Amino acid sequence: MERALRSTVVQAIGYFIVLEAMLIAAILFWPDFQKGIPYFKTLSSLPIAKDLMKPIEQTGIEGYIVVQHFFKGCNVMGAAAAVLFAMGAVAGEAHRGTLELWLSRPLSRRRILLERWAAGALALSVPILLSSVTVPEALILIDETMPRGGLTWCALHQSIFLLCFYSLTFLLSSISSRPVGIAFGMLLFTTFQFALYLITTVTHWSVFRMSDLDVYGAILETRGLDGLLIAGLIGFNALCVAGSLFAFARRVP
Amino acid sequence: MSEPTQGNDQGENRDGDDLSSHDDPRPRTATGEAGPGRIVVRGLTRRFGETLALAPIDLDLGPGGVTGLIGPNGSGKSTFLRTLTGLVRPDGGQASVDGARLSGDGLAVRQRITYAPGELHLYTEMRADEHLAWFLRGRPKHAAVLERARAIAAELGIPLERRVRAFSHGMKRQLVLAAALAPDVRVRILDEPTEGLDPSRRGKVVELLRKDAERGVTLLISSHHFGEIDRLCDRLVFLNQGQKLAEETASSVAARARRFVHFSWPSETEAIAAKPELERLGAERVVRDGVRTTAELGTADPRPFLTALSNAGGLPPPRTIEFGRLSLAELYQDLYGVGGV
Repeated sequence: MERALRSTVVQAIGYFIVLEAMLIAAILFWPDFQKGIPYFKTLSSLPIAKDLMKPIEQTGIEGYIVVQHFFKGCNVMGAAAAVLFAMGAVAGEAHRGTLELWLSRPLSRRRILLERWAAGALALSVPILLSSVTVPEALILIDETMPRGGLTWCALHQSIFLLCFYSLTFLLSSISSRPVGIAFGMLLFTTFQFALYLITTVTHWSVFRMSDLDVYGAILETRGLDGLLIAGLIGFNALCVAGSLFAFARRVP
Repeated sequence: MSEPTQGNDQGENRDGDDLSSHDDPRPRTATGEAGPGRIVVRGLTRRFGETLALAPIDLDLGPGGVTGLIGPNGSGKSTFLRTLTGLVRPDGGQASVDGARLSGDGLAVRQRITYAPGELHLYTEMRADEHLAWFLRGRPKHAAVLERARAIAAELGIPLERRVRAFSHGMKRQLVLAAALAPDVRVRILDEPTEGLDPSRRGKVVELLRKDAERGVTLLISSHHFGEIDRLCDRLVFLNQGQKLAEETASSVAARARRFVHFSWPSETEAIAAKPELERLGAERVVRDGVRTTAELGTADPRPFLTALSNAGGLPPPRTIEFGRLSLAELYQDLYGVGGV
């Protein structure tokens, strides 16, 4: 198996295990959480956190799964995984000095880059899809249920949203030779965006508004994706990939 | 002319591997005509910021033969080879290798040649066998080529089952070479193919390259080892600061060699005394190094100079006189004004 592909598969399996473990832990915590919702609302100092409690109170397990699995688990772990998978894609090769070797084979740069992008994109998305479709099975543990269709749509939206982090990091990796610098920069950006989300007055500036309870609530309700939002996210991904191809084509080993 | 700096290949160089002794039997096609096995370069140029890495370079090589690319560190050898293989995009000019025109990312060229990079950074977590397969990905008849690469690696004594992280620098170099020599192509571009190898391994590699050249493959290699270049190359291209300083064939080196007369004197005092006398007798340039003196003549016929020398009364008798010989180290010294290694 190709070296990079093998490493990506290992990373994806690890990422899936973490997501699944967080999901199971959250599901097992639901009965206690449900009882404590009034206290959590009282104790929470952040208005946004109080807002998050309302839909959980109204929709029960559905809102809870959206918050725990998609908003918290996938957004946080997924953003970190996106950066981790993409930061070394090209910059890692340059950093370790293998870029010349990598490019010297009789393969086009476009193919080399797209193969690597696709491998990382699959490693990021497949664990989200797999962990999301296992939610109904996991809910059996606490005698709850949830339709798989809505979860699949949510997982699809989540994947496309996280791919934006991945593609942006990939673009930076195609330009830079410092994977650690890219990782710090992207994690700083992500943390900053998450912080923005938690402040009521500026929350609309946060990219996480595109992957929060309101968005997933609408997806579960309509059993479909927001076409405009998805088109924007896909467009952003396409721009980043095009930028990566452009930079990579001119890259000197 | 001063003696070159002592180096590993000094002995090989002195032991009669003079460039002037090589023949150049290759049939030459019309200049500039691209075709199978040929490398045709026209005005290839590349700049990195303010630095001119490659001044416009013209070159016609092949089909067949071994060309050595020579120059000091930073002279543009690796940049030139990388540009030819499409790893570095040229700012201007054109090139074609084995009939494929260099354009875009150079894929058409890389599909028709093999290239061994000079910088050795391998995927150390891979086993050598896996690494060979990785190198050869994208080659037609992959299984057969991989088998040939394994055979070459075995011939070089590379343990294919071991991880590359356990390899010495020389073993890594040989692994890269095994991958570069396996595909059945008409042109191979090898950046410092014997760098880091011990003399016996270097000899084996030179032998492999010689056999490859005998099959009609065009080899373009860069190297700092004069010994192997002397033994292997029938054409030399000298680069300095990104510019082609000179291009020599065996016959042009022989012609150049005829302009040099080498003297060895019994003592340094006599060598010092001889210098002005040799200049007076018509030598254009006289360089002394210890008891050795080299007189460069204005013509390729040394007879008038030697006649004048035998009639000169004030000159102490030299221990030896040699002419018609020019080692690569001396040629390098002559072109760059510094001792070669």
